[in-house]
Amino acid sequence: MAYEEVKVQTPLYLKILPVLSICAFFGSWEFIVKTGIVPSTMLAAPSEVIKLFIVKLTDPNPDGAVLSQHAWISLKEAGIGYLLSLLVGLPLGLTMGWFTTVRGLFRPVFELIRPIPPIAWIPLCIFWFGIGLWGKVFIIWIAGIVPCVINAWVGVGMTNPTLIQMARTYGASDWQIFTKICVPSALPMVFGALQIALAYCWTNLVGAELLAADQGLGFLISMGRRLALPQMVVLGMVTVGIGGAVIGVLIDAVEKRLLAGIRR
Amino acid sequence: MEKQKNVHNKIVCTDIGKTFIQKGTQQVHVLEKISLEVHDNEFLVILGPGQCGKSTLLRIIAGLETPTEGQAFLDGKLITGPGPDRGLVFQSYMLFAWRTVMGNVEMGPKLNGLPKKECREIAKHYIDLVGLQGFEKHYPHQLSGGMKQRVGIARAYANKPQVMLLDEPFGQLDAQTRLFMEKETERIWQTEKRTVVFVTNNIDEALILGDRIATMTGKLPGKMGPVYKVDFERPREPTDMEFLKLRHQITEASELVL
Amino acid sequence: MDTQSVANEVIKSTREKQAFSIIALIRNEYFLYLVSSAAFVLLWHWVAKEQILGKSLATPYDVVKELGRLMTIKLAGKNLFGHAWASTQRILIGFSLAAVVAIPLGLFMALNRTVNAIVKPVFDLFKPMPPIAWISIAILWFGIGEPSKVFIIVIGTFVPCLLNSYNGIRLIEPELYDVIRSLGGNRRHEILQVSFPAAFPAIFAGLQISLSIAWTCVLAAELVSARSGLGWIIVQGMKLTKPELVIGGMLIIALVAWLTTLLVSGLERVLCPWKRHIEGL
Ligand SMILES: Nc1ncnc2c1ncn2[C@@H]1O[C@H](COP(=O)(O)OP(=O)(O)O)[C@@H](O)[C@H]1O
Ligand SMILES: [Mg+2]
Repeated sequence: MAYEEVKVQTPLYLKILPVLSICAFFGSWEFIVKTGIVPSTMLAAPSEVIKLFIVKLTDPNPDGAVLSQHAWISLKEAGIGYLLSLLVGLPLGLTMGWFTTVRGLFRPVFELIRPIPPIAWIPLCIFWFGIGLWGKVFIIWIAGIVPCVINAWVGVGMTNPTLIQMARTYGASDWQIFTKICVPSALPMVFGALQIALAYCWTNLVGAELLAADQGLGFLISMGRRLALPQMVVLGMVTVGIGGAVIGVLIDAVEKRLLAGIRR
Repeated sequence: MEKQKNVHNKIVCTDIGKTFIQKGTQQVHVLEKISLEVHDNEFLVILGPGQCGKSTLLRIIAGLETPTEGQAFLDGKLITGPGPDRGLVFQSYMLFAWRTVMGNVEMGPKLNGLPKKECREIAKHYIDLVGLQGFEKHYPHQLSGGMKQRVGIARAYANKPQVMLLDEPFGQLDAQTRLFMEKETERIWQTEKRTVVFVTNNIDEALILGDRIATMTGKLPGKMGPVYKVDFERPREPTDMEFLKLRHQITEASELVL
Repeated sequence: MDTQSVANEVIKSTREKQAFSIIALIRNEYFLYLVSSAAFVLLWHWVAKEQILGKSLATPYDVVKELGRLMTIKLAGKNLFGHAWASTQRILIGFSLAAVVAIPLGLFMALNRTVNAIVKPVFDLFKPMPPIAWISIAILWFGIGEPSKVFIIVIGTFVPCLLNSYNGIRLIEPELYDVIRSLGGNRRHEILQVSFPAAFPAIFAGLQISLSIAWTCVLAAELVSARSGLGWIIVQGMKLTKPELVIGGMLIIALVAWLTTLLVSGLERVLCPWKRHIEGL
């Protein structure tokens, strides 16, 4: 037969180098802090961060909450804001792509809001909602809605015109074409939006919490700075980073599942 | 018979075999025991169905792949890598989107270190030869498929290779343009004679262009089929008696193999 | 192809045949833009006037008046243009620093497996971390002056710059290299004639993404601590409870951010005239 199974190895050094490089990174980080090349008031060694991590699992001092509570607050704010932005942004973007009337009505406002970085809304949010949950939800909502609208809109725009023409010759109404042809063919772009929006929401959440919060991972980071505890700053950053990575992986998996169901 | 003994073999392939490794673990046997001779200044067509390893064979001659078995020779010298003595034309054009027609065509001379003015002159000459005068400043995206492939041909020619290798160059064109481009190819070849190896899966194209037609059999691994001599006069028409007879003969034979 | 309008081509062509009528008018996109803009401003005015959101929203007129005032008077030694320039300057510095390091690094990683094996794992560690999370560390390291703001922008723009130049090269059609090789070029020619120019559009896409991240970063940094810049103006508005100052600041941010985007796409159009037709955008 023409096809056979064989084993091919990637060169050994290409397997070892990444491990070495990670080790070297953490090693030199630990080293420069422990030997005082970088003062410990500016940076915490990895071992310190791990120590604090274990402590913060149970001890709410000095910032008022244990780590899991901070993480839960952040997740809750991000989750609610994100879902709301999908709920509003996707239908808006999809209809803006197809119905001229909708586009005509919403585009000017959308174009006005689009270039404003979401965290610029923080002062207004504090006026309107105070520093509680809903202010941050609003910021995240604003952050998530922009990529949702753009992607859904572009996705509808990329519908194959021949399909639309075909549907028209069969006498389909505008609404039928929209739901039966435009929306399905926009789905890949919409899934792209889910991911972009989530990453963007997470970034802006941290910003919002740094500035206006009394709980949450961003608050943990800024408390670390105010209390001059670099290990707390780094712990907050690492937790935020891990959160972002986990969410990214999850969305990736969900997207693969759903898209696999749609295409073949 | 007497005449054939004198012909010089430009390219010789001896028992070439090629095995690829796909996705890291799968071995694909693509070519098996391919032997082929291409004469000097001959228009040789390699005819075979899709996915039988035609491109792979051509890329081995171009020096872009190394055969796992056997060797390929150019002028008696072992082919070890690509070189400016062989010009390659790709099925999907492969033009540099960021360069104008002129920039694409003068690429070869430029890479070989010719002075700027000379590059220009050579490029201009070949742009005229393929009939693209007036389009020098256009970018590839502004050209039609047929015009793009003209650029591809001019680019290969401008390097003044001894051998032209064309890999299904008109595969993406519509039937009309294709026929026209075949005529053009014949004209260009007759203006500047070169040894040409032309790969195609279209039997009419093979019969219009080839001095000889080497057939390859379908299914992997690809093997060499019979070689046909096309000795009726150019320009050929698909309605000629001889044309139809040979066409019939080739179709019969390849159906037997399949 | 203009992606936004393809799907509507069919609709538009049928509509063109209709005679002038009220229906045609209320379906006209540009007419609707006008209507909705006007409606938005009126609604805004009404909500602010009736104080539905309390005193925390200013009328459009107040905002415009405030902007006019800011152009003439000086706040903390700078008028409005001065503050806009302060923010833009930070972005330009941080952005160029990041681009100068990240783009070549991305190119290197894509072209050399060893470099990739060393840099990629560490880069992947930093990638999911939102740049704003670095603000506190930046202040610990550099204090509250200019360097800490520039640092945040460098961190934020580094990731998209690197990723895009990396992917730009990795997504190049490998046969393009074969063209160079068969024309007699060597590895150096492959890189100069194919890798770099072919990665150009991707690099520019990375710059556009970077730019919007840079604006987020600079604002965050200025909101946390600054003595100038558009973020500082907003903070002033918040501290003085002057919503017209906050909203005016936001509008100016939108304007300047939009202008910088235009600048980058203009630059792209000049530097690679062949691009927009290829990507279909
Ligand atoms: N670089 C490569 N790596 C792995 N497999 C390849 C490679 N090039 C070609 N092949 C395999 O070789 C087979 C024949 O390909 P090709 O030579 O392109 O055939 P043809 O040109 O006749 O259509 C294909 O099934 C393809 O999967
Ligand atoms: Mg092929």
